[in-house]
Amino acid sequence: MDTIIHYYRKIEQFFGNLKFAVVIITLFAIFLGYGTFMESYHGTEYANRLVYKSIIFMGIQFCMFLSIFFATMIRLPPRKHLYGFYVIHAGLIILFLGSFITYQSGIDGSLTLAPNQASRQIQLSEDEFKIQFPAKGKEVTIDLPFSAGPKDLNIEYEGIKLKTFLPFSKNEMSWIPVKIQDETQTTSRYRIFNDNFGEFITLSLHPKSDFNNTLQLGPLNVHYMPSNLSACFVSNTPDGLIIWNGESSECISPQPAGIKKKKHTNGKIIAEVDFLGQKILFMPEMSPLPLDAKFELNEKSPFRVFSKKLFEKNPHLFLFGKHVAFYNKSTSLWEGHPVEIDQQVALPWMGFKVRLLEHKADAYATMTPTYVKPIQENSQVIEGNMKALEVEIEGENFWVTSMEPSAYNQADERIRFEIGKKIITLPYELVLDQFKMDTDPGTSTPASFESYVTLFKGNKGSSKHHIFMNNPLKHENFTFYQASYFQTQAGPYGSVLSVNFDPGRPWKYLGSLLLVLGSIWHYFLRRKHLAKPGAKNG
Amino acid sequence: MGKLITIITFFLSFSAFAQMNFCTSELETFPTRSGGRIKPLYVLATDTIKFITGESKVEELSATEAFCKLSLKAFGMPLELPVKVRVDHVEVKKLLGINDGEHSIAVNEALAKVGLLETEIAKLKENNSYKKELNKVKQRLDAYQAIIEARLWTVPEKKGEDIEFISLGEFLTETKIAAIREKSDNPVNYLFAEAKENFLKAKGDDYLLELRYYKMNLFMWAMLTTILAIFLLVAMKIKWPGAILVAATIALEITAVTIRVMISGRGPVTNMYETVMFAGLGALVIGCIITLYRKEVAFVIAGLCFNILTLMMMKFANGMLDEGISPLVPVLRDNFWLSTHVTTVILSYAALALSWLIANGLMIRDRFFKVSSAEYRYGVDLIYSCIKFGVVLLAAGIILGGVWADYSWGRFWGWDPKETWSLIVLMVYIAILHGKSTSWIPPQRFVPLVAGAFMTVMMAWFGVNYILASGLHSYGFSEGGAVFLGSFFAIQIAVLILGTVKRKTA
Repeated sequence: MDTIIHYYRKIEQFFGNLKFAVVIITLFAIFLGYGTFMESYHGTEYANRLVYKSIIFMGIQFCMFLSIFFATMIRLPPRKHLYGFYVIHAGLIILFLGSFITYQSGIDGSLTLAPNQASRQIQLSEDEFKIQFPAKGKEVTIDLPFSAGPKDLNIEYEGIKLKTFLPFSKNEMSWIPVKIQDETQTTSRYRIFNDNFGEFITLSLHPKSDFNNTLQLGPLNVHYMPSNLSACFVSNTPDGLIIWNGESSECISPQPAGIKKKKHTNGKIIAEVDFLGQKILFMPEMSPLPLDAKFELNEKSPFRVFSKKLFEKNPHLFLFGKHVAFYNKSTSLWEGHPVEIDQQVALPWMGFKVRLLEHKADAYATMTPTYVKPIQENSQVIEGNMKALEVEIEGENFWVTSMEPSAYNQADERIRFEIGKKIITLPYELVLDQFKMDTDPGTSTPASFESYVTLFKGNKGSSKHHIFMNNPLKHENFTFYQASYFQTQAGPYGSVLSVNFDPGRPWKYLGSLLLVLGSIWHYFLRRKHLAKPGAKNG
Repeated sequence: MGKLITIITFFLSFSAFAQMNFCTSELETFPTRSGGRIKPLYVLATDTIKFITGESKVEELSATEAFCKLSLKAFGMPLELPVKVRVDHVEVKKLLGINDGEHSIAVNEALAKVGLLETEIAKLKENNSYKKELNKVKQRLDAYQAIIEARLWTVPEKKGEDIEFISLGEFLTETKIAAIREKSDNPVNYLFAEAKENFLKAKGDDYLLELRYYKMNLFMWAMLTTILAIFLLVAMKIKWPGAILVAATIALEITAVTIRVMISGRGPVTNMYETVMFAGLGALVIGCIITLYRKEVAFVIAGLCFNILTLMMMKFANGMLDEGISPLVPVLRDNFWLSTHVTTVILSYAALALSWLIANGLMIRDRFFKVSSAEYRYGVDLIYSCIKFGVVLLAAGIILGGVWADYSWGRFWGWDPKETWSLIVLMVYIAILHGKSTSWIPPQRFVPLVAGAFMTVMMAWFGVNYILASGLHSYGFSEGGAVFLGSFFAIQIAVLILGTVKRKTA
């Protein structure tokens, strides 16, 4: 027993010591300061993960609790001049306990209410990973860690391996090598720029690439095509016709002499061209599809016919890997230019140039989630707000992101994956009857957000409520606060309510009250002051 | 087009009259609506002209006269006022071709370069201080454009029993002028007099309180009485006349704050200007209370010194503190919590400011003059008295904030930077108070620590808004608030170094 008391006294002396209190309070303040800078630079969620809800910060808070507790114990039995001190420390202990109860049992989420739709699902801030087997009607959820950095999960479920979780990530381009080089499945990166504007673009013909073969930059349309089509775009023929075999990526740009034209019974012109020894019939005025033997449109044919004249009115840039083609209005001619890596070609629009940065036939470009520390600007996270989890099935690795669910076909079964927020379901539901937003007179600045809701309590009937800022709805220990709003595609506004259940609340209030009263008692009652040097006593 | 020609013809034919008699100081009392509030034209005109030019006048013309004349440009009045747009950032000045030493550009010259500004803004991805200043110059030009297109000046118009505000451009129509010309030789003045009369009948003249508030310039008078009080109490060591001036200062400031509360209809602590205003007054009042309690005039002197600092900030730090009264964001529209939580926190900062001033004063005195050990200990006790007030008020303020947050948003604590920094301030002072009872913080360390600890108050008060809220990407220290804070830290650190290195201990 004596040994226990001896060790208890040692612990009491250590944690109840004033110097320990100074160290732990200073450490706490330093962590808080660090957290605010992290919050400013990387956003609230990152700061929460890195600092405020980290194990080390919890440890500091626990040490503060020990310091407060033992500082009180060491000063027992009660002494009259320390009554204020006891009240302060009792208040702090109760405050800590209240916060712990909230941390353990509290619920803090949000309820999204679309206009006139019932909702009972509260979305929490924690992430979870869902694996769904629709055929079996089975769903598995796995809690994702609340870490600030990448975390290896090493979890396996029915042959599905969950590997690395990235709480903050962005898609970055990476090159995936291919076994067989194919000049019709190339990928290229370019920079299109002038003195005031510049944009990096990646275009790909590979079917597995995340990049398209066309894109639009303001009024400029960019098309990426196999390199052997470039010759057809460069030639200037009166009709501007190009006949293209989609399978072989071969093309011809026939001169008028090479096109035989005759009238069909329906009055339309039928043209016949010789495509590398093969006769192709088509109706240039009607369709890009060729005609079959019965003079009907042949959708199965790999051939397509189109006129370059379609691309002469507006700016269209054709890129063929190491070739560039465009229509120059000032010369009324199609121009073609070869371009090597790091070389540039001047374009006929507003001083723009195009520079080839990379061109590959032995690899294709795709977007892969990469961990980044998020970046916040003007209270918005502008980079890194995507979560991603690497999954391995049957030796194949792929990423599931929070941007959209993914699916994988395993044998005859389709498995669905999703990263989302944890959900809890209320035993009652709310319907948003109306969302009202008032603005300050003569401005578009919001003055108030108000939700008119109906609460359906099952067999207990329903009731109408008006929720607005500083006027929450309280029902069965849950409190619903007006938090935000959104506009639906159809036009009306939806509302977002913050939902809270806090069993620690009474303790926190009691602790706070004791803390303030104790401070007043300790600092202002029964205090003696030094007399001014040189002044007469009394 | 016909409408425009009629009005132009009207104004041209009466241009001399219109220029001489319409745009006069009488318009200062004319009711207008801007930023969601009804206010006298004087306030709108002064705020806008100050925003555009950085000055309250355009050459010899008052802001109201200049604003009026510029608005008439929308009707073809051939007026050219020498309006100059304020530009502060060195790089923006370079871009607009402004010479070194100059801080403005002629408005027409600036308008010709709007395209250049827009291109530069579009080019910059990072929202740094350069981009912010570019945007500000663009906003100044937009405001000027809104004046000369008669969009900014709104005029009350009777619609049935109600009053609606419409832009000057919509108000001054050909039909109205033609109709009134039959009744009056001076239809414009007639229309404005009628609009004002209708407004006064329907809504009263409460809005004119704001004009009186600005015209009375109570804070300038308070600055004068504060300076005189410091002179009497410190240099002349005359107590009673000094006390009367202190009372006059408090009375002037309480009157000003009360009028401001009456105008805005809410607690006087909703923006940085108001917190500075309230902190100055609070420090003086707390200084007086502790003086009465401790019979020590040093607290009042510290209160006066802090008050004069805040009054100077209110007068001269226009780039950082906006004097205007604007509507609150919805979440803050709760007078009870706003008036209790924010005022308590600001009063705590005021009490800590007293400890900061006394600590710095004691440190400098000890460095350059002989301070006896007894005097030093007495000084420490004075500082301790202020910190006690500050810590109790701050703890109460933080808790009130937590209760408000819990009541309004369902979270007692949310690690919001403002609340977190106020907790940091509390922790820093609590650590100092705990340390004071150990051998780690003897009086010689206590004083510089308290002087330095006020930097956390400044960070919580200004830094969260001017550095953290704007994001660390724009950590340029070239904007008003960040420059002020950076300068404060630099000076305080220099004083600490000066006060602690080779200190003459008694």
